[in-house]
Amino acid sequence: MSSPVSSQTSNLPVVETRRPSTGILLVLRRMRTPIIVLIGIFALSTVGLTLVPGEDPQGNPHRLSIFEAFYFMAYTASTIGFGELPYPFTPAQRLWVTVSIFMAVTGWAYAIGSLLSLMQDRAFRAALARRHFVNKVRHLGEPFLVLVGYGNATRSLARSLDEMGRRFVVVDDDEERIAGVELDAYRADSPALLGNARDTEVMALAGAAHPRCEGVVALTGDDDTNLDVAMTVGLLRPGLPVIARTSSRDIADRMELFGASEVVNPLDRFGDHLRILLRSPASYQLMVWLTSSPGSPLPPRRDPLPTGRWVVSGDGRFGRELTEDLRAEGIEVDLVGGGHPDSTSDSVQAGDLDAEHLQGAVAFVAATESDMTNLWLLRTAQQMNPDLFLVALQNRASNARLYESAGVDFGMLPAELIVHEVLARLANPELMQFLPRVPHMGEEWSDAMVERLVSAGGDGAPDLWRIVLDQREAPGVQHWLSDGHLTLSDLLRDPHDRDHALHIVPLVHVRDEEGTIAPEPELLLEPGDVLLLAAPASARRTLADTLAHPSTAAYVVEDRVVPSSWVWRKLTRTSL
Amino acid sequence: MNLEKVVFGFFVLLAATLNFGFFLGDMSDPELHNSYELFAAVVVNLIATVLKFGDRTQIGAVHLATSLVASLQLIAAALVWTYGSEVSAGGMDGETMAAVVSLSGGALLANIVSVVLLVVETVSFQRR
Repeated sequence: MSSPVSSQTSNLPVVETRRPSTGILLVLRRMRTPIIVLIGIFALSTVGLTLVPGEDPQGNPHRLSIFEAFYFMAYTASTIGFGELPYPFTPAQRLWVTVSIFMAVTGWAYAIGSLLSLMQDRAFRAALARRHFVNKVRHLGEPFLVLVGYGNATRSLARSLDEMGRRFVVVDDDEERIAGVELDAYRADSPALLGNARDTEVMALAGAAHPRCEGVVALTGDDDTNLDVAMTVGLLRPGLPVIARTSSRDIADRMELFGASEVVNPLDRFGDHLRILLRSPASYQLMVWLTSSPGSPLPPRRDPLPTGRWVVSGDGRFGRELTEDLRAEGIEVDLVGGGHPDSTSDSVQAGDLDAEHLQGAVAFVAATESDMTNLWLLRTAQQMNPDLFLVALQNRASNARLYESAGVDFGMLPAELIVHEVLARLANPELMQFLPRVPHMGEEWSDAMVERLVSAGGDGAPDLWRIVLDQREAPGVQHWLSDGHLTLSDLLRDPHDRDHALHIVPLVHVRDEEGTIAPEPELLLEPGDVLLLAAPASARRTLADTLAHPSTAAYVVEDRVVPSSWVWRKLTRTSL
Repeated sequence: MNLEKVVFGFFVLLAATLNFGFFLGDMSDPELHNSYELFAAVVVNLIATVLKFGDRTQIGAVHLATSLVASLQLIAAALVWTYGSEVSAGGMDGETMAAVVSLSGGALLANIVSVVLLVVETVSFQRR
C-alpha cells in the first residue's frame, strides 16, 4: 500500500545503501579469538590459584577465595604487581603464579598485537574512512555540491567555491587525489570519498540523494565517467542540476537526454573564446574577469587579434569546428592536417604542414589534444614564418611553461575554460543572462563597463550577488516598491550620506523572466524584481541595511528621518 | 559440519547448563550452591558473548543481547557473593545467598532464550 500523500510530498528517491557500520563489526569479529584466549587464561589461572594449597603466617592451611585469586591475577597479569596477598605465598603457589604470569603476558601481547595490526589494516581503515564520510555527508545542514573527480579543473573550481562560501563533497577513485583534498585545507569541512563515481551506490553515499544536494559537477577527463554520472543522477534525482564535461557532441547529446542541465565542452569553448576575442578584446576581458573567483586581479586587455589569413592545425573534428567558428567571424582560414574526411588517422602528420600555407598567413592555431604535437607544430610554423601570431590549445596545466617558452601569443587551458564556465553557472544563474550578451554590446560598451567596475571596486574581481525585491529579502523597501516610486538609483544611495551613490554596479535586472543587462538608473523597480549586482563586500553589507530597515530606506529614498521604534514614531507623529 | 557452529553451540549450551546447575537447590542455603560453578558460568557466558561479536544479522544481534544480559546478571551475582563472603560482617547468610541465586535465575532465563534462538536458527537453516 502506498499513500498518495507521501508520493507527492517526497520526490527524493530512497536509495538503499548498506549502512557502512563495517568498522566496528570488523573489530569485534577479528578480536573474538584474542578476547576468548584472554578470558580462558584468566579463568584458568584464577581457578588454579584457588586450588593450590597455601598457609597463613601461623602455618594454618589457607586457600585463596575466588575473589582474592581473581584480584591477584588481575594486577599480576597486567604487570602492576602489588605483591603476594593476603599472605606470602607458599612455593607451590609461586610455581603456579609463575606459569600464570607467562600465560597472561602472552595473552595480552596477542590481544594488543591483534588490535594494533587491525588498526593498520587497509580494509579496516577504508571502512572507517567511509563511515566517517557518510556521517559527515548525512549531517551537512547547508546546500552542497557533489564534485566528481578531483583533477586540475575541479581543484581550482573547489578553491573558488570555497572562497565563495559554498560547501562541496568530493568523489574520486584515486587515493592520492583524495588525500590531496585534505592537504588543500579548505575553510569549510569538505568530505572526500574514495570510490568510483560510476558506481550508483558511491554516488548515493556521496549525497546525490541527499535533500540538501544542490547539484552535481562531473569534470573528470573521462567522458564515460561523466556520462555515467549524468545518467545516474538524471535517473535518481530528475531535475537536480548536473554540470558535466565532455569533448564529444555525441556524448553531450546523451547527457542532455538524461537531463544534464549543462554540458561543458572545453574544445567548443576554445572556439567561442577566440570568436569573442576577435570581436572585442574589452568584452573578452570583462567576461574573463567576471567569471574568475572573487578578488582575482583584472586580467590585462589583449591586443586585437590580427585579421588576415589564419592557419588552423588540429585533430579532425575539432579542427573543422574551430575553422567554422573562425569563418563565421569573417576570417579566411586554412585547415591543415587531420581534416581529410577519408583519412583513417585523425592526428596531424609530419608532412601536413608546409611553407606554402604559412607564407602570407597572419596567425597559426595549434589545436591538437596532445601538447607535444602542439609544441612541435608551433615550432615548425614559427621557423617557416617568424611573424605569425601563435595560438595554442594547452592541454595540461603542467606544460604551461613549455608553451610560454615556445613563444605562444594566446594560449588556453581547457581546465581553466571549464572552471570559469562552471563557476559562472554555479555562482549566479543571472550571470548567464549577462555574459552571452556581452560580445554583442561592442567594444566601447565593454570598455565603459570595465571602467565602471574598476572605479566601484578596484582591481579585484567584484562580489556578484543577486537580490530579490520581495517581502523576504527586501522588507525595508516594500512600501516604496508597491507605490511604484522606487528607482534603481535611489535604492543604491549611500545610507550614510544619500548624496553619494554606493559603489555598486547593477549588471542584470530580471522581471517576469526577462532580463535586461546594465539597467538604467532611472528604472522604476517593482516587487518581485531580481537584480544581479557587482560590488565590493562592504557596499554589499551597506545595501543590506537599506533593504532590511524601513527607517534606513526612508532616509535613502525620501531624505526623511523616521524613528526606528514604534513608540517614538507615534510620539513624533511620523509614519513610514 | 561447520566447526565454528560446533564451538558456538557448545559454548551457548554450556553457559545455559552451568547456569542451571548453579541455580538448582534451595535458594537461601549456601551449602547447595558451589562458587566454582558460578565462576565457570561467568567465564563460559563471557566466552559465549565474545563468540557472538560481529554478526550483522538480526538473529545475531538478538543472540548478542541475550548473552550480554546473562553475563551482566552473572557478574552481578558474583559481585554479591564476593560482598557477602569477604566484605559483609555477617558473612554469607541466607539473604545474600538468595540474592545471588535469584540473579543467576535471571541469567538462566536469558540463557534459555539464547538456546531457543540457537534451536530456531538451526531448524530454519535446515528448512531452506
